[in-house]
Amino acid sequence: MTRRFSPGKVLAWLVLAAFLALTIAPFYWMIRTAITPVADIYTDSTAIVPSHPTMINFWRVLGLVDPQTAREAGGSGAQINFLRYTLNSIIYCALIAGVQTFCCAMAGYAFARLRFPGRDLVFGIIVAALMVPPIFTLLPNFTLVKTIGAMDTFLGMVAPNLLMTPFAVFFLRQFFLSIPREVEEAAIIDGAGKWGVFWRVIVPMSRGPLITIALTTSVWAWKDFLWPLLVGRGEQTRVLTVALGVFLQQSPNTQPDWTGLMAASTLSVLPVLALLIFLGKRLVQSLNFTGIK
Amino acid sequence: MTMSNTVAVPAATVPDAEKSPGPRRARDDRWVAWLFLAPVLLGFAVFYLYPTVRGVWYSVTDYSLLNTPNFVGADNYSELVSDGQFWNSLKVTAYYVVLNIGSQTVLALGLAALMHRLTGSVVVRATMLLPWLVPNVTVGLLWMWLLDSNLGFVNHLLGMVGVDNRAYLNSPDWAMPSVALINTWAYTGYTALLLYAGMLQIPAHLYESAALDGAGELRMFRRITLPLLRPILALVLVVSLIGSFQIFDTVAVTTKGGPVGATRVIYFYIYQQAFTYFHMGYAAAAAMVLVVILGVLTAVQMRLLRASRSDLT
Amino acid sequence: MRRRSRTAALVTAAALALPLLHACSNSSGDDTGGKVTLEYWLWDDKQQPAYQACADEFTKANPNITVKISQTAWAQYWQNLTTQLASGSAPDVWTDHASYYPQFVSSNQILDIQPFVDKDKVDLSQYQAGLADLFVKDGKRYGLPKDWDTMALVYNTKFVPDATGLDKLTWNPADGGTFEQAIAKATVDANGKNGLDPAFDKTKVKVYGFLPEWADGSQGQNGWGDLAVSNGFTYLDKNPWGTKYKYDDPKLAETIAWFKHLIDAGYAPKFDKQSTLGRDAVMDAGQAAFTIVGSWTISSYLGTGAKQQYAFAPLPTGPAGRKTAINGLSDAIYAGTKHPEQAWAWVKFLGSAACQDIVGDKAVVFPALKSGADKALAAHKAAGRDVHVFTDEAAAPGGTFFLPITDHGNEISQIVQDSLQGVVLGSAQPADALKKANDQVNALFK
Repeated sequence: MTRRFSPGKVLAWLVLAAFLALTIAPFYWMIRTAITPVADIYTDSTAIVPSHPTMINFWRVLGLVDPQTAREAGGSGAQINFLRYTLNSIIYCALIAGVQTFCCAMAGYAFARLRFPGRDLVFGIIVAALMVPPIFTLLPNFTLVKTIGAMDTFLGMVAPNLLMTPFAVFFLRQFFLSIPREVEEAAIIDGAGKWGVFWRVIVPMSRGPLITIALTTSVWAWKDFLWPLLVGRGEQTRVLTVALGVFLQQSPNTQPDWTGLMAASTLSVLPVLALLIFLGKRLVQSLNFTGIK
Repeated sequence: MTMSNTVAVPAATVPDAEKSPGPRRARDDRWVAWLFLAPVLLGFAVFYLYPTVRGVWYSVTDYSLLNTPNFVGADNYSELVSDGQFWNSLKVTAYYVVLNIGSQTVLALGLAALMHRLTGSVVVRATMLLPWLVPNVTVGLLWMWLLDSNLGFVNHLLGMVGVDNRAYLNSPDWAMPSVALINTWAYTGYTALLLYAGMLQIPAHLYESAALDGAGELRMFRRITLPLLRPILALVLVVSLIGSFQIFDTVAVTTKGGPVGATRVIYFYIYQQAFTYFHMGYAAAAAMVLVVILGVLTAVQMRLLRASRSDLT
Repeated sequence: MRRRSRTAALVTAAALALPLLHACSNSSGDDTGGKVTLEYWLWDDKQQPAYQACADEFTKANPNITVKISQTAWAQYWQNLTTQLASGSAPDVWTDHASYYPQFVSSNQILDIQPFVDKDKVDLSQYQAGLADLFVKDGKRYGLPKDWDTMALVYNTKFVPDATGLDKLTWNPADGGTFEQAIAKATVDANGKNGLDPAFDKTKVKVYGFLPEWADGSQGQNGWGDLAVSNGFTYLDKNPWGTKYKYDDPKLAETIAWFKHLIDAGYAPKFDKQSTLGRDAVMDAGQAAFTIVGSWTISSYLGTGAKQQYAFAPLPTGPAGRKTAINGLSDAIYAGTKHPEQAWAWVKFLGSAACQDIVGDKAVVFPALKSGADKALAAHKAAGRDVHVFTDEAAAPGGTFFLPITDHGNEISQIVQDSLQGVVLGSAQPADALKKANDQVNALFK
C-alpha cells in the first residue's frame, strides 16, 4: 500500500534507524577488535578506529599463516581447518533444520487441526518439555549416544534435535491455528485426505513460518557449542564453534585470545548472514506468491 | 467426538463434522494423527521424556554424577527449603525475568510493528538479526569489553558527558541490569522476527479497509495487529518467559554469578551444584522446583492469553 | 517434484550419517595387533606443542603405544571430563588440578599408581620438594607431579623506575611496611601527584599502585593468601586432606583489612570500579603499577610485543617471613582405563626427565623435576627474561606453602570469595564476614 509522506512516518523511520544503529554499534566493536593488532588491544582500547589496523587475525583464523607468526600475533599456533569445520557446521545445521522442520510441521498440523483423544494433553506435555532444563537431558542423551556407538558421528551429533524440539512444534502449531479454515475445507470438499490437506494446502500456505522456523533452527544449531563439543570431537565432525574454542580462555587467570576470537566470530557469522539474506528474500517472495499478504 | 477435544477447535469445523458421522470421523483422525505425530513422539520420548524421568529420579537420590545413586527420599527438597543460596537465586532470577521481558519483549513488539508497517527490506531484517547470529560466548566477552570500567567504550562515552566510570559487571546494583541489557541486545531482533512472521500472516486487506475508514496506525495496531497476533504473541511470551528463567550463558561468561551472588541465577546455581560441586541429586531437585514454577506460570499465561484460539478463524 | 526433493533430503541425511557411524568410535584404544592408542587430555593450548613432542618421543620408544592428545579450553574442560566419567568412560590419562582432584579421588575415578611406583622404583625425591606427596591419600597415590608455579610481584618499570630495595620489601598489616610505601609512591592522580604527596587526590587516580585480585576463590593465591600466610595465617588443620578450616583467624582478617585500607586510600581500585577484563589487561593499559602474579604468566608479561616494560620482584617479607603459594598439576590415570600398564608407561614418561626436559626447554611452565625446571630457567635466561625470583622463592627453605587440598574445594571457593567480595564492597567487616564464612565452610565437613 502506498502512503503519503507524514510526520508520523518520518518519526517511525527515525525510531527504526535508532534501533538499527544501537544494534550495529557493538557489532562494530567486534570487527574493530578483530582488526586490532594484539599489542594494541589494551593501550588503544577506546579509539574508534585502531591506530594500526591489520588483517593478521583473520589470516590466522583461516590458517593462512604459519604457527610461529600466529603465536606472535597472540594466538596459540593451533592450526584451524576453517573450511572443513564450516562444512561440518553446514551439514550439522542442514540435517537438523531440514528433518526437524518437516517432522514438527506434521506434528504441528496434527495438534492444530486433527481431532483425537488426548490431543491437548499430549500437546501440553510437549510444551511442558520447554521447561525441562537442558542439564537434565544432557547426561542421559550423552550416555545413550555413547552406548549406540555414535560418538564422533553426525548421527550422534544431530540425534537429540533431529526429530523435534518442543519449541518448533509449539511454534508451527500456533501458526497453523491462524490459517483460515475455509481454505482447508475447500480442499476437503475436493476430496483431499488429511495428508493432502497438509501437504498441498497447509505447507504451501505456511512457507513463511516454515522458513522462519528452519532459519531459527539453523541458527541455534550453528551456535550450538556444548553438545557438539561433547559428542563431535573428531576431525570429521568438529563444527566451527567447537574449533573456535582455541580462542577461549585456556587456563584460569588468563585472557582469551581476544583479537583471534573476534576475528573468528566475525567470520563465523558470515555464512549464517548469507543464509539469512537468501532465505529472507525467498520468504518475501513466497509470501507474495501465496497471496496471503 | 468428545467435548474435551474441542477446546482449540472453533465452531467453523462443524461443516467438516457434518460430512460424515462424528464418531467414525474421530476414529479416522486418530489414526492419521498418530502417524503425523510419530517422528516427533519418538524424538520426544527418547531425548526428552526419558531423560526427564531420570532427572526426577535423581532428585530423590544422592547422585553425585560419579557414584551409584542412593534413594534419600525428600532430603534434597527439604534441604532446598532452608538453602539461602537457592532462595537468593530464585529472587535474582525473578528480577532478571522482569527486566528482560520488560525490555526485550516490548522492544521486539515495537520493532516488529515498525518493520511490518514501514518496510519489508531484507537488509533491515538481517541487520536486526545480526546480534543473534553471534555465538553466545562471544556475545558475553564482547560486552565485557564494552562495559569494562577501565578499557570499555561505554564508560569512555559516558565519561565524555561527565559520568564517573563504573565496573558495571562488578557492581551489585548494576550487574543484573547489565546482563539484561546484553541479552536484550542479543535477542530482541530474534524475538522481533518471530512476531514479524506472525504479523505477516495477518491479511493486508484488514489494514487497507481500516485505513480507508481513517484509522491511525496506533489504532490499527491496537485493533488489528494485537488481537490477530495473539497466538504468536502468546508463543513468544511463553517462550521468552521460560527462556529468561533459564538464562545461563551470558552469566557464565560475564559475571560467573557474582558479585556476591547478585547474578547467581537459578540455572547457574543448578549448573554449579551439578558440575562444579558434584551434587547432581540436589541440582535435580532444584531443577524440579524450577520446572514446577515455570509450569504454573506458563499455565496461567496460556489461560490469560487464550493461546489456543486465533481471532482469524 | 516435492516428494522427490523430500526423499532426496532423507537419502542425503542417511548417506551422511551412516558411513560415519563407526568411523572412529574406538578412539580410546583397540587391542588389535597389540597396538594401543591412549587418550590424553589437557586444557592449556600453549603447552600442547610441548606435550605433543613428548608423545612423539614416547611412541618412538614404545612403538606399540600412540598417544592422542585432546585440548579443551579451561571453562569446558571439567564439564567435558565429568560428563565422560559419568557416562562410564573417560580419557586414559588427564591433566588434573587440585580443586577437582579430591572429588575424583573420593569417587574412585583415579587409578592408584603406588603399586607401579613401587614396582618401577620411581625416585620421588627428584621432584620439587613436597609436590609428590600432594597426590597421596591414605597410602594410595593418584598422580605424578608435572609442574609447579610460585608467585611474585610484577611491576611496570615506567611507574617504578627505581628497583632499589624492591627485593627487600617488608609488609605488615598495621602500616603496610615498605611495600605500602612503594605502592603509594607508584600511585599517580590526574594532577601528577603521587600517593605520598599530601595533595594527592584519591578520587581522580590515573595509575593505581596496586591491583588486587578478588575473584581468587578460597585461596587468594594471587594476593591475599600469600600475604596472609606471611602474616602467620594457616588455612586449615592439616594439608592435604584437612577437615577444619581457619578462615576466622584474626591474622587473615587483618590482611583483608589492609587491602581494604589500600582501596580506601586510593592506592587500589574500588571493587565496583575494577576492570573485569583481568589484571593483565589493566597492567598492559598502563593503569596500574604493581600486582601479584604466578609464574605461569611469565610469557604474557615478558613476551615479545608487550607494550609496557615489566620486571619481577620477590613478594614482600611479612611478620612470619616471605611466603609464596606453590602449586602443581599432576597427571592422573582413569580408574576404568582398558590399558593401565600402557597408561602408567605414559604417566611415568611424563614424569621423567625425558619429557620434562622437553617441556622445560619450551619455557612455558616450570617442570616438577628439578632438571626440567633448570632447563626452563636457562631457556628464559637465553631469551633475555629475568625470572629467577620464581625459582629462588621455590628454593628458599620454609618460603613456600601448599594451597589447601580437601574435599568440597569448589564450594569453599565460592563461599570465601563471596565473603571477601562483600568485605571489599564495604557491606561487611572482615572479622565478622570471615567468621560467618568459616562456619559455613566447616559445616560442609559435618
